[in-house]
Amino acid sequence: MSAATVTATAAPRRRRASGLAAGLVLLAALVPVLAFLSITQGSRDIALRDVLDAFGHFTQSSSVDDTVTVRLRVPRTILGLLVGAALGLAGTLLQGLTRNALADPGIMGVNAGAAFAVVGSITLLGVSGLGFHVAAAFVGALAATALVYAVGSLGRDGATPVKMALAGAAITAGLTAVTTGLLLTDLAAQQQYRFWQVGSLAGRYAPIVTGVAPFLAAGVVGALLCGRWLNALALGDDAARGLGVSLGRTRVVLFLVVGLLCGAATAACGPIVFVGLVVPHVARFLCGPDYRWVLPYAMVLGALLLLGADVLGRVLGGTGELQVGVVLGILGAPFFVLLVRYARLAEL
Amino acid sequence: MRLRLAVATAASLALALSACSSDVADDDDDAKPASGASATPEGPWTFTDGSGEVVELDQVPTRIIAHAPAAAALISYGIRPVGIYGDEPVDTDPNLDGVDLTGIEILGEEWGSIDVAKASTLAPDLIVADWWPAEKAHSGLENSVKAKSKKLAELAPVVGPSQGGSILNLAEGYEDLAETLGADVEDSQGAEDKAAFEEARDAFVAAMEDKDLTALAVSPTADLLYAANPEYAPELLDFTEWGLQVVTPDTPDPDFPYWENLSWENADKYQPDVLLIDSRSFEEAKKTVAAQPTWTSIRAAEAGQLIEWPAFWLHTYADYADALTKLTADLADVDDTIGD
Repeated sequence: MSAATVTATAAPRRRRASGLAAGLVLLAALVPVLAFLSITQGSRDIALRDVLDAFGHFTQSSSVDDTVTVRLRVPRTILGLLVGAALGLAGTLLQGLTRNALADPGIMGVNAGAAFAVVGSITLLGVSGLGFHVAAAFVGALAATALVYAVGSLGRDGATPVKMALAGAAITAGLTAVTTGLLLTDLAAQQQYRFWQVGSLAGRYAPIVTGVAPFLAAGVVGALLCGRWLNALALGDDAARGLGVSLGRTRVVLFLVVGLLCGAATAACGPIVFVGLVVPHVARFLCGPDYRWVLPYAMVLGALLLLGADVLGRVLGGTGELQVGVVLGILGAPFFVLLVRYARLAEL
Repeated sequence: MRLRLAVATAASLALALSACSSDVADDDDDAKPASGASATPEGPWTFTDGSGEVVELDQVPTRIIAHAPAAAALISYGIRPVGIYGDEPVDTDPNLDGVDLTGIEILGEEWGSIDVAKASTLAPDLIVADWWPAEKAHSGLENSVKAKSKKLAELAPVVGPSQGGSILNLAEGYEDLAETLGADVEDSQGAEDKAAFEEARDAFVAAMEDKDLTALAVSPTADLLYAANPEYAPELLDFTEWGLQVVTPDTPDPDFPYWENLSWENADKYQPDVLLIDSRSFEEAKKTVAAQPTWTSIRAAEAGQLIEWPAFWLHTYADYADALTKLTADLADVDDTIGD
């Protein structure tokens, strides 16, 4: 980011809607490009021709290249885009809702709830199989979110941002302690749980993708409709009330949408924290404070970031693959430092 | 920060690995009384540790604390430790299956965690555990173990044979160690076990002579297929020497050379006749691979030629005899024309 841009943002000014729309279209145009890369590139070398052929003659007796293209890369690409969009949006909603610039899905106990449910279902209920784990993770994430909200709403002022952050931290700590305790006593559970320790798009095939896609899609649509509320909340509780926004009801709805997005994303991919943290900042940096623009930007940027990192991990991983969570960590940390250093984070 | 998670993942694999590295015990080392019952020899006592260090003591040690697999080996020669520590609960450790632990204190049932305070009340004069040349440490005292647990090494000298190119290094090493501790090796359960092992090995060798089998040892997980590097799995080197050709992956993970990491896209990179599947997760693995569209791109998998690999835990003649007998039986019907 150049010095010129920095000066420009230092003096906030109204961005024109036509410019913002053009920017969004441009970013959105990158999505099919990236999806194409994601389907043609990977840890296995497949000639472009064979990739294209795979869609033409995919049958039961197809070759390994066909299987890899259609049954591994296609669902992975769809999942990467959906989860990236979901996390970008969820992070934006959370940061707006809690007015905390460092909020990310982890703060809501989502990851801890999903982890607890997966480990609990293995050790206490004895179920196994990826489908069960994903379902358990989703239920656990939603339940933890609800619990955080319930605890955060206790007391006179209802669910204030500070109380929710504290409730999230406390419940995360509690659930993590129990999860660790269960894991330490069960080697088999440790091996199954490894799958959730680092966020990854590998090994998630059609049944998982089709299982979580409706939830993610519903959450994405819901989130995109929340811009007006977030704009009101950004003015402070009193001003929001003055604008006719019911604080309690708004928070419940926003929490529900976040729970849906993060729960489904974490269930499918494990904990992926960086996208939800960084993407909202980039989106605000690009389009200013109006959440009606920040949300669609965050959606597209989230999808691009997650899938882009995944493609990188697949190309750089040799015969194996780097998990997308690892790639995001390597790339994301220095990027975030730069962003904080040079782009003066928007006040929330 | 995610990188640390990756490291943690590797470490947990390593942990599982070393967890499995425990040993074995023999079923009934009957009535040999407490340590060195067969008349503890006069001191001084010397033993060359797996690290190469020569340990000298004025007296022959009698109060021994041993890592679970080492304990199992010693017990088969009638040397009974006063305390043991394991990498997993005593009830599930394959090395302790059938071993009589009456009167032996349990000092740890989780990798990396040893109750050193309790250990010190046993006043040990020797600690016995495998030496890991790659990690330059004895079992249970590796780098990433809690500092508190590592204090075990301050209670008494630590010795043990070295992990290495063959499980027999360990089996023979514990036999030698037991002998220096006063065991009557010739007249022990261990001697019977050794005979059983030799018979099982000869049967294995004979069975392999009739075939031209190649094998790949794997540990399948939901996101990667790990292909074992025999160089770091002594039993796989043994199998190769005895006629079952175990494939060496060409690009093991430089940071964790126990395995080559294969993405599921590359599952068909090696085409062996038979797949040896990590015993630590055998049942789970069968479910994991069922969901992998490319699993059957390995022809051996398509043909159902899957066999349990006793991975990283064998130590004693008794367990090796059982494992080889089972392998020989499992391999009897395997078609050797499936792979490359």
